[in-house]
Amino acid sequence: MQHKSEILSFESLLIGFSSGRWKKVILPPLNGHAIKGELIAVVGQNGVGKSTLLRTISGLQKPIGGKILLNSKILSGYSRNELAQNIGYISTEQVKVSNMTVNDLVSLGRFPHTNWIGKLTPEDIAIITDSIKKAGMTDFVSRNISELSDGERQRAMVARVLAQDTDLLIMDEPTAFLDIKSKYEIIHLLHELSRERGKTVIFSTHDLNVAMSESDKIWLILENLFFEGAPEDLILEGAFDKLFSNSLVKFNNKDGNFTFRTLISGKVKVNGQGNMRIWTEKAINRAGFSVSGQYSDIEIDVFSYAGKNIWKVTARNTSKEFYKLYDLVNWLVSSR
Amino acid sequence: MIEETEIIGKGLTDNHKLLKFGGLFILVAILFILDIFLGSVNIKPAEVIHALLNSADKGLELIVYKFRIPKAITALVVGIALSLSGLQMQTIFRNPMAGPDVLGISSGASLGVAFVILGFSSHMSLSGIQGFGNWALVAASWAGAGIIMVLIMIISMRVNDIMTVLILGIMLSSGISAIVSILQYFSNETMLKAYVIWTMGSLGNLTSQQLEVLMISVFAGIILTFFSVKMLNALLLGENYAASIGLNVRFARFVIFSGTSILAGSVTAFCGPIGFLGIAVPHLARIYFRSSDHRILIPAVMFIGGGLMLISDIISQLPGSDNVLPVNSVTSLVGIPVVIWIILRNRKISGYF
Repeated sequence: MQHKSEILSFESLLIGFSSGRWKKVILPPLNGHAIKGELIAVVGQNGVGKSTLLRTISGLQKPIGGKILLNSKILSGYSRNELAQNIGYISTEQVKVSNMTVNDLVSLGRFPHTNWIGKLTPEDIAIITDSIKKAGMTDFVSRNISELSDGERQRAMVARVLAQDTDLLIMDEPTAFLDIKSKYEIIHLLHELSRERGKTVIFSTHDLNVAMSESDKIWLILENLFFEGAPEDLILEGAFDKLFSNSLVKFNNKDGNFTFRTLISGKVKVNGQGNMRIWTEKAINRAGFSVSGQYSDIEIDVFSYAGKNIWKVTARNTSKEFYKLYDLVNWLVSSR
Repeated sequence: MIEETEIIGKGLTDNHKLLKFGGLFILVAILFILDIFLGSVNIKPAEVIHALLNSADKGLELIVYKFRIPKAITALVVGIALSLSGLQMQTIFRNPMAGPDVLGISSGASLGVAFVILGFSSHMSLSGIQGFGNWALVAASWAGAGIIMVLIMIISMRVNDIMTVLILGIMLSSGISAIVSILQYFSNETMLKAYVIWTMGSLGNLTSQQLEVLMISVFAGIILTFFSVKMLNALLLGENYAASIGLNVRFARFVIFSGTSILAGSVTAFCGPIGFLGIAVPHLARIYFRSSDHRILIPAVMFIGGGLMLISDIISQLPGSDNVLPVNSVTSLVGIPVVIWIILRNRKISGYF
């Protein structure tokens, strides 16, 4: 069933570096699949081998062992040019060329489809114009790429890879240098490409929130484990806990958020409702206290009165009122 | 609607470029004629025309046909070859400061030449080399240039930093100079003099056979360059991206290195190391045509390089005086200001090129 529209798969794939007889395998054998139209996020710590995996399945780096299939044909059986007609690739490397316009850059995406001198046919030009439009770069066509912001340059790179007209797009941290707005624009664009154009997009990211909310599938790479599955599956399997097992960050399996592990210095009972209660609990956690439903040393009543937010704290027979969470947190910290 | 205006806009710029090419062509033609007319022997323009029309006295005809025209052709060919090789090197190394002389390619070629002039030729007379030696000289020069080219490539694959590569290039050049000095130390006086004169660079000392060899080699280099045009454009993105859009990087490197070594090597073999033209001209072409497309840059570099070399040659003859300057010094004095300007303009040369 699953093989019906499988575009890429790898079995017992060993990735790493080799030169001559010297070989270094960086990860245990990997097994993974990409279905047509899927948006796949590759997640893992820095230096674990995300880029190496992406380079290997793009055919830019030789695998050390195992099998990669592209459209059920073995990857090493493709010529460079055939690969370029099937896989588009964007790395973290920035293209720095002066006097190159966005149009020039995107035109280079037609490289595998043009003749020896690179002459563009009217069809090529139509595809280039369409790719630029799709990436939202129409206003920038004749702008030099050296004048673009990081977000605009990344969109130009996406336009280039669209002009290459491949079914599979592989991107290494496409949102790495971007501010929040550009980041979501790029992610949105990737989402659209997979939904509307049926492109398979495989991208690596550090942003787990993005990976979990946008992707259809996650490839989670740990030093000795590889997980493949829907984001929710990975949460239920406890895969993300392993990602942070020896760091200060803790993954919250209930709401999919991350918190710092802090020492718990006491329990606090909160009485109140709604938003105010939720944010108060967050603030209490941040101050290093856990929220408890039972009677505790410290009890906080949360309420609004005459348009004012009031936090009334009762602790060891003393009672205090706060009008800002900031002050409350400061008091909690000092009483720790 | 948008598409329509776009096409019109594109057409205009194409016309604009064509206009610029036309202007450059006329300029180079004028410079070529000026180079024939001006020289250290004062000949009146009318007499030059006379000589060309084949009716003047034998002395003048000799100067014009045997000396000035070949020299002007040499200048043109040298300018074209060095600039093309500089352009390709800047693209493949993604380094704005790359050029045949900077990274030690010319030094490599001189080493080849030094081996031929100083090493092997100590067993034969100077006239002996000139007979069989033209192709040997060029081949040695190609080999020298090619070896350094490969060395630099290996270095730049390991170190990404442009400055480091440049410094290592300078180290290589110094090492080669040391070897050449040793060769000089052990060679006899006539050979030494021949070599020292060669290092000063000269456009006028070529025999007609040598000019023929030079022209054939440079023509081959130009053909290879034209053949590389699409590969060069892909390499602008860097080797990773170039591979990802379907370029066979090894093949491309081989073709481009061969072309560059042939171009820089042939010129160095016959005219000596001629500096700074190779770095400066590609930048002038990029700035003048505001393009990074090699389909435009290759012809642009040929015109600008040829023209600049003709200007250098005219200056080196010091029109109106009997003296002649080494052309090598003139190209340096013309090229260095351009290079300094490029550095100051870019501030950080490791950025965009």
